[in-house]
Amino acid sequence: MNELSRRHFLRILAASLGSLGGLYLTGCLNQDKLLSRSLSADKIPSTTLLTDPTSTVTSPTETDQLPSTPEDTPAPSPTMAYPDLTVARNGDPEVMVRKAVKALGGMKRFVKSGDEVIVKPNICVGYHSYEYAATTNPWVVAAVVKLALEAGAKRVRVLDFPFGGLAEQAYVVSGIQAEVEKAGGKMVVMNNLKYIDTAIPQGQDLKSCKIYDDVLKTDVLINVPIAKHHGLARLTLAMKNMMGVILERRMMHANLGQRLADLNSRVRSSLVIVDAVRMLMDHGPSGGNLSDVKKADTIIASPDIVAADSYAATLFGLQPDDLAYIKKGAKMGLGVKNLDQLMIEEINLG
Amino acid sequence: MADKSETPRSGLSPEQWLKLRKYSQLLFMILFLVFFLWSRREFYLFPAAGASLKQELINLPLKLDPLVMLAQGLASRTILAGSLLALITVILTLLLGRVWCGWFCPLGTLLDWFPLRSWKKKEPKIPEWLRGVKYILLLIILFAALFSNLSLLFFDPITVFYRTLTISIWPALDQIVTGIEMALYRVPFLKPIISGFDSLIRPSVFPSHPVTYRYGGLFFGFFLSIVALNALAPRFWCRYLCPLGGMLGFLGKFSLVQCEIAETCSLCGSCFSKCHTGAIQTNEVVFCDPGECTMCMACAADCPGGAITYPARIAKVIQQPYDIERRKVLISLGTAALGVGLLESNLVSDAQSPKLIRPPGVINDQLLSTCIRCGECSTVCPTNAIQLAVTEAGVEGFWTPILVPRIGYCDYSCNACGQVCPVEAIPPLSLEKKRKQVIGKAHIDRNRCLPWAEDEHCIVCEEMCPIPEKAIILEEIQVMTSDGVEKTIQRPVVIRNLCTGCGICENKCPVSGEAAIQVSLHQRHFRNSRF
Repeated sequence: MNELSRRHFLRILAASLGSLGGLYLTGCLNQDKLLSRSLSADKIPSTTLLTDPTSTVTSPTETDQLPSTPEDTPAPSPTMAYPDLTVARNGDPEVMVRKAVKALGGMKRFVKSGDEVIVKPNICVGYHSYEYAATTNPWVVAAVVKLALEAGAKRVRVLDFPFGGLAEQAYVVSGIQAEVEKAGGKMVVMNNLKYIDTAIPQGQDLKSCKIYDDVLKTDVLINVPIAKHHGLARLTLAMKNMMGVILERRMMHANLGQRLADLNSRVRSSLVIVDAVRMLMDHGPSGGNLSDVKKADTIIASPDIVAADSYAATLFGLQPDDLAYIKKGAKMGLGVKNLDQLMIEEINLG
Repeated sequence: MADKSETPRSGLSPEQWLKLRKYSQLLFMILFLVFFLWSRREFYLFPAAGASLKQELINLPLKLDPLVMLAQGLASRTILAGSLLALITVILTLLLGRVWCGWFCPLGTLLDWFPLRSWKKKEPKIPEWLRGVKYILLLIILFAALFSNLSLLFFDPITVFYRTLTISIWPALDQIVTGIEMALYRVPFLKPIISGFDSLIRPSVFPSHPVTYRYGGLFFGFFLSIVALNALAPRFWCRYLCPLGGMLGFLGKFSLVQCEIAETCSLCGSCFSKCHTGAIQTNEVVFCDPGECTMCMACAADCPGGAITYPARIAKVIQQPYDIERRKVLISLGTAALGVGLLESNLVSDAQSPKLIRPPGVINDQLLSTCIRCGECSTVCPTNAIQLAVTEAGVEGFWTPILVPRIGYCDYSCNACGQVCPVEAIPPLSLEKKRKQVIGKAHIDRNRCLPWAEDEHCIVCEEMCPIPEKAIILEEIQVMTSDGVEKTIQRPVVIRNLCTGCGICENKCPVSGEAAIQVSLHQRHFRNSRF
């Protein structure tokens, strides 16, 4: 009896291990297939916006580089041209976000009914509350969540992967968790399981890296960085904020500018909202000194990540060309860095 | 806990008592695991909320452990208010015998669950004098504690269980679950299911990023051998080795309620094999040694003649040959004195190693006489910075906490280790104080640091430094690379008086193998050095 049951057990074990292995193998196969398919017909919302006929300015490189997918093109009112970038100043954070997005054509331009939305703020450390300007302003994040839900989003998830401290703690300390949950969004703790080896077809230096699956699969990705100082990149803005969705960040630093541009060519932000309500002027990115914080009460919104970063750089008295990743990003056709070529709408609420 | 008075007139049949005991074991095992899981997250997520109450609650199993509390009190020469909880166990044992072992102890429960009966081909003959080992171990621990040494507390069953759960079992389970999830996550149609399952168990049960503990195998080996000894005799550990069992056994001799075998006993012998600890013995008459009996009630439930009862009365204490007697006391005293003396006379160079970084606020000499080796600090440390020493801290420092920055850094927003420590071996610092507490100092190896040695761009340590003024600054410099190109690079420099030695720079340094920036002890930490 004992002999028999053991054999039986081993048989079951072998069968289950075999089927697991089989599933794994088919999984690998499917993964590769899926990957190649998703690369050819990837839904990149910002692309459609850039190649949108109503766009006022498009540099020639953009149209060369970016695959156009006409079936994904939203239906903008054909008569009205939206500004490329909007700036709201001197208001309550939520009101500034609402005005800036409204001037861009409203959240419905980016979020369609039933869409999955991921909001990516900068929650890089769990050390300080939002006053220290190391993390995105909670009310700005909450306003984005509200707008997305009002536009009909099925679900709005908010996530980041802090380098100092754990996410759960940083979500609470930054004050973002409380505001997002009040707004109806969901804070998600990212975990190792979902970082998927992903090819970066347009990458010039970074050809592949492990990227968070949900961020790749979501319908809409809204990038909500805080404008702050950084030792190597000089400033961390929207393009740098995408460092939060990859697993191995150490290798980014060797050629940060190009690699950030490469990463952003694969992970496209549908909409960028730069939080410059408070700016961290020095000792970034972790901060901790209130004397380094400058209250600027400014919100920048744009579907063009390079344009948003370029404008944000000027708030620090820098030129877009002072930041390597802006230069490389513009060169790769991710957006326009020359502010003179952009149609900018400034809204003063003060 | 106090509601279990095992008098024969309470109306429950022996079978019902037996069932009740099994439920009690299950309940306390679950409680133990719930406390364990709770403690993993609670202290760093909500550092301010009711810290002392949480500490008392989560440490309840340890606080109820009279061996740990007595030894700790003797060695540290202080009485912690919470340690008086251990008197509950003492009183309970004086009333009801070793109920702790039979009804509550999680290690005992586990040994009951894995009796390894089928492994036994024939009953090995184990000499009865071996039961004396637990008493000798107990006495050595207590005498050594008198000489301010707590090294042997790693034999305490509750600390054994805590440590093994933290260092070995939980991380291994995590790895297994992660492995299965990873495999299934590759299958497209399973993705949503795995994703949903994963968000259920993480981060509440398992951490969202894998934890790393060194020497998990070693700790598990120790634990496994305790379980494997069951193959020689049921609850071998509890019968012969457990020092806490020895302490409660000594008290149990005087207990009010004892197992009694009536003269109507038919000598059928069924209880001999049923008894978990072999407490029922025979020389001329059949009797049960209350020092060995764990009040498990298995014998009463099985006795065909109903000859076994548990009356409450003051019984005469009968000394057994393996019990504590003068010679054992003297041998233990001698061993403890000699052992501690030898350790003290040994100028262990390891103990003065500059890499022997302790958790924030710890003073090395005091740690050795206060730390009970439970490993709870390691459990709650969110970054895995706190590891348990094996050889790093010398023989006395076996299984005491050390900080290993390459594995984890001391998080700027966390003071969990000091909050959870049941005996304040790691002082309970407020977050403001902990942020300023100097653990060590970082120093850069300029022969390996990328910007210094290779003229490559890297500012990771500066970026990571949590000190508001940045204890690492970047110096810009023009260099000529080997291909004759001029290049501006930034080189990190440590500002020593700002550095607290949190170790995040060492942890995140991208140089492979040993980091190019490392934390070592501050000179100030050597003030008690004999050199």
